[in-house]
Formats: sequence, C-alpha cells, structure tokens
Amino acid sequence: MLHLRMDRRASDNVYLHKDFHNALNLAIQYLSDNFGEEGVKDYLRFFARNYYSILKADLMQRGLIALEEHYRKIYDLEGGDVTIERTEDPDELTITVRVCPAVEHIRKLGTPLAPNYEWTTSVVHETICEDTPWRAEFSNWDPQTGASIQRFVRKEAKK
Amino acid sequence: MISCTEFIPSYSLLFSWIEEKVDYDEVVRYWEYISRNYLEKLEAAVKEKGLFGCWEYWKHSLNEEAADFVMEMHLNEDGTGYMTSDMRYCPSMGFLLECEHFTPYHAYCDHCSVLYPPILKKYGIRSGSRKLDVQRAACGGSRHMDEPPAPEIAAAGWQAALKELENAEAEGITAWMD
Repeated sequence: MLHLRMDRRASDNVYLHKDFHNALNLAIQYLSDNFGEEGVKDYLRFFARNYYSILKADLMQRGLIALEEHYRKIYDLEGGDVTIERTEDPDELTITVRVCPAVEHIRKLGTPLAPNYEWTTSVVHETICEDTPWRAEFSNWDPQTGASIQRFVRKEAKK
Repeated sequence: MISCTEFIPSYSLLFSWIEEKVDYDEVVRYWEYISRNYLEKLEAAVKEKGLFGCWEYWKHSLNEEAADFVMEMHLNEDGTGYMTSDMRYCPSMGFLLECEHFTPYHAYCDHCSVLYPPILKKYGIRSGSRKLDVQRAACGGSRHMDEPPAPEIAAAGWQAALKELENAEAEGITAWMD
C-alpha cells in the first residue's frame, strides 16, 4: 500500500483560488435562469449592502481613496491588465480594465459567461455609491475580455 | 470586480438570499446545480484516476484556498483504498466567522455534503461520515474506494501516485510504501 500525508498551515500558501470566479459566474447564471434579471440585481444589491458596508463606511469617511486602495489591492493580487487613475480632482477615480482577471479565468475554463455578468461590477458599484456623494459609471464593456471603464465621480459633477 | 478572495461571503449571502426569497429546499437545489456544473475538474480527475483523483483535486484546491489541514491517502495498486482529511481550520467557514458585519448563512457547512458525495458515488467512491465543529471552522471526513475500479483507472491512479511518491520530499509530502 502506498501512503501519502500532506500537512499544511494556512500561512504556507497565498489565498487565491481563481476557480471561485467561475463559481460566481454560475451563481449569476442560476439566478438569471430561476429568478430573472431582477433577481440577479436584487441579489447583487443584497450582497453589496451587506459585504461592502465596511468599504462604504470607509468611502464616506475618507473619500474615493478608500475605493482606490481597495481595487489596487485586489488587482495587485489578481493580475489582469488594469489601470487605476486619479486626476487632480479628488472626486474622480477611473479604473480602466483591458483584461479582467475574472473573465480571463472563466474563459480559460471554457465556461460561457453568464448573461449580465458585468452587473457583478456595475450594480455592485452603484449599490456602494447609494446615499453617498458619489455615483458610479460603467461603460465600454467587452464580454470577451471583461474590458470596461469604471468611473466614480461626484453626483453633481458633469460627465 | 468581485475578487475571488471575496467569493465566500458572496456565496454565503447568496444562500441567505435564496432562503429568504424561497426556502431551504431551494438552497439545496442550488447546491445540486453547483454539484452538476462546477465540479468538472473533480469529476475528470476521479473518472481518469479513481480515488487518487480525489487527492489531486483537493491538494490543488486546499492549497489555493490556503487551508489549514492534514490530508492522507492510502492506496492499493488495484485502486482500492481510502483518503482522510482533517480540516483544522476551514478557510471558508473561518472567513465567515471572522466577518462580524454580516451574518453567515445558518447552514453554510451543509453545502459540502450536497456537492461532493453524488459526484464521487458515480465513480464508486463512498463518502464516510463527517465530523463537524462549525464554531471552530473544523471538520473531518473520508473517501473510500471499496471495490477495485476498472484496471485502466486503477493503473492511471497508481502511476500518478508513484510519481507523487517520487516528488514527495520536494513538495513537503510525507510518503511511504509497505
């Protein structure tokens, strides 16, 4: 008989399980099939209001630097082809995604992208910005690469 | 983008959302859907290599998830044997217990029992009883191949296990034959 024993501590590895991107993709597919578009949006709002409540509180306290730091940390870990830009205006933050690491991984696995998958970004951002001085914009979405332009600006500011 | 490092709270909150909208049975139906659609890597591994496919799948997943665990494989050349896992601190349940700003789904740990056994059973692998200590994010269980699989599956698993034996020291795996 052949015996193998693996003993690992959490600190032995970096937490990065990219297959979870596909698990979220399948969740959106399931919601879309069983609860419709409004179900997808309702769940994403529910998730964002609960999970990102601390990020939102930080946004209210420190402004867009909170979102900038959050996304720099995430994209530094996940990779992709992404530029995060600030202008001299402290109330403007632009995230230009040329290759989204989540969509890149889902495509690599060969799984179809769920309809309205981009709402995992756009609806989440809109929800984080609810009742704040900022609004979220989302444009130039490409489902093949996950490319998009994500902006956060003051609500009264012109586009 | 919701990072893959934020998936676990999104998963737990999805269970809560579904139960609030429908009921617990609908949450189970969702887990069954995930079992059928998400576990392609596990299914491919056990289809090709039998019980050793379990070792390969969980070795990869648990390391990527930075779990705190001990996993053992005891394999015969005919493909029979068993695998045990002692999850000292589950990274998923642990993450949820550490988050104090939302409530984890009350039956979060149930999903593992719905996801994995049906896939493994298809390939002759029996899941043993599970020990669970939710508040410590700890659990343990076993997988058993009681009857030999097809000879080509046993051979593929045995060859892969021998290769693992060769590389064991480099990977920090304790390995021996008797």
